Amino acid sequence: MEPGFPAGLSAANGYGVVDTRRPVLVLNDVTKTYPNGRDALKDVDLVVPEGDFVFLVGASGAGKSTLMKLLIRDELATQGTVTLDGDDMARLPRRKVPIVRRKIGIVFQDFKLLPTKTVRENIAFALEVTGTPRRKIGPAVARALALVGLTAQADQYPKQLSGGEQQRTAIARALVHDPKIVIADEPTGNLDPLISWEILQLLLRINELGVTVLMATHDADIVTALRKRVVALEEGRVIRDEIGGGYHRAG
Amino acid sequence: MLSFLFFSISRAWQGFWRNAAMSLAATATMTLMLMLLAGFWIIQAGFLASLTYVEDKVGVVADMNDGVSEAALQDLEARLGAMPEVRSVEYISKDEALRRYREERTAQGQDDLTSYLAENPLPASLEVKLRRPEDYQAVAGFLEVDPAIAKVQNIKDTTDRLISITNFLRTFGVVLLGVIGAIVLFIVINTIRLAVLGRAEEIEVMRLVGASDAFIRWPFVFEGALVGLLGAAITLGVLMGAAEPLSHFMVGFFQILPISIGSISRDVTLLVVGSGTGLGVVGAWVSVRTYLIR
Repeated sequence: MEPGFPAGLSAANGYGVVDTRRPVLVLNDVTKTYPNGRDALKDVDLVVPEGDFVFLVGASGAGKSTLMKLLIRDELATQGTVTLDGDDMARLPRRKVPIVRRKIGIVFQDFKLLPTKTVRENIAFALEVTGTPRRKIGPAVARALALVGLTAQADQYPKQLSGGEQQRTAIARALVHDPKIVIADEPTGNLDPLISWEILQLLLRINELGVTVLMATHDADIVTALRKRVVALEEGRVIRDEIGGGYHRAG
Repeated sequence: MLSFLFFSISRAWQGFWRNAAMSLAATATMTLMLMLLAGFWIIQAGFLASLTYVEDKVGVVADMNDGVSEAALQDLEARLGAMPEVRSVEYISKDEALRRYREERTAQGQDDLTSYLAENPLPASLEVKLRRPEDYQAVAGFLEVDPAIAKVQNIKDTTDRLISITNFLRTFGVVLLGVIGAIVLFIVINTIRLAVLGRAEEIEVMRLVGASDAFIRWPFVFEGALVGLLGAAITLGVLMGAAEPLSHFMVGFFQILPISIGSISRDVTLLVVGSGTGLGVVGAWVSVRTYLIR
């Protein structure tokens, strides 16, 4: 196994430099057992410092989706702790869950846009339903639209857009409330390679603006080309966590 | 708080029209169910009034001895009138009894046999109307032991049977209305549940972007209330349209029965608006709750 320490967990990261960045996300010895007895995750340790860009790779059923669900507190860990921006998910009272979710921006493979709303309304929706004052919504939506380059398409409906544009709308929605971390679950899974690169460029830019990005993906080309931090899961265990890694384990 | 209310109501309004097909289907179901409920309520009201009308006919008739003094009669009438079970007391004198008998014979086209008699054979009597037919025995027992009374006409068996029949019919009516109510409840709630199910993705997105439960729930609750109010309005409109020709048809009905159109229409309006809004709100509440408990 690669010697790469989980970045930020110990004194040294892959570069042998002390990592003083604040961790946004900490999984400590996490096991998730579903009611049918299957261990979806087993003894997972993961620390993601602020501003990191992490690829989460692994075959279907390796535990990527379960990990994502733990992060947004759709599921609770059976053992161990999941901490997001200082909040222990297991100790979080129910009414605080929405507040923690506002620190996360989520992007899905199937976009999850509302077909009866325009691009602008889809993005504004995330602010409206979290009780943001009306006068703040307009400017925030305009900024998000500009960031993803959809200002011209703002009044179109999702079905009038291409797949890439729909995903950019979803990214704008994930960003509009200034999240600490963006979690992207196979965001390029439904897109062709060229468009996938566009989406990746967008996520990288967002990361440069200081937002932590955690992206689950099957796309080996992208992972190998970008040389970011790669966390590989297999049968619920972290089998590799290296900075600057490829999709596959290095030779 | 006010802006939250404004937000919820405007979102409810938007949600209703942007999913017009589903909303109108829910409203149509709501309308039909409210009509069913209102129809049964009206029938039930007429039915209960009919029962009361029949029960009012139960009274105690007591024949008096001849030669009871005026003072004894007034005393007896006063004591009867003071009983809580008694609604009214009417004294039928011997002459009055004879007059009524003759009238009856004439009306039936038969000979007046009493003209062959030397004196009036009919007794004077007291006709006592009761507040409740169940009190028959108490009043009859009171009269039987009075020295002025010759005989109490015994209709106890008939009264008992009438009471058991009317009580059965009353219970049956209430049970039937309950069953109809339950059917309406389930159909309406299921319709709203389907409408909410069609918007599961919207709820999912709200949850994921960090909307609190209240922000997810209340727009749907207001939308449910809107469906209920709209259904109630249509139902009342249809009933009002039908009321004019119906009341022509039922004028006789309302003249006989102790019931007024005014009280029925007030009750039905309250019923339709109340249950429409209530069902809409409860239906939306329980349907959205499914998505919030997780």
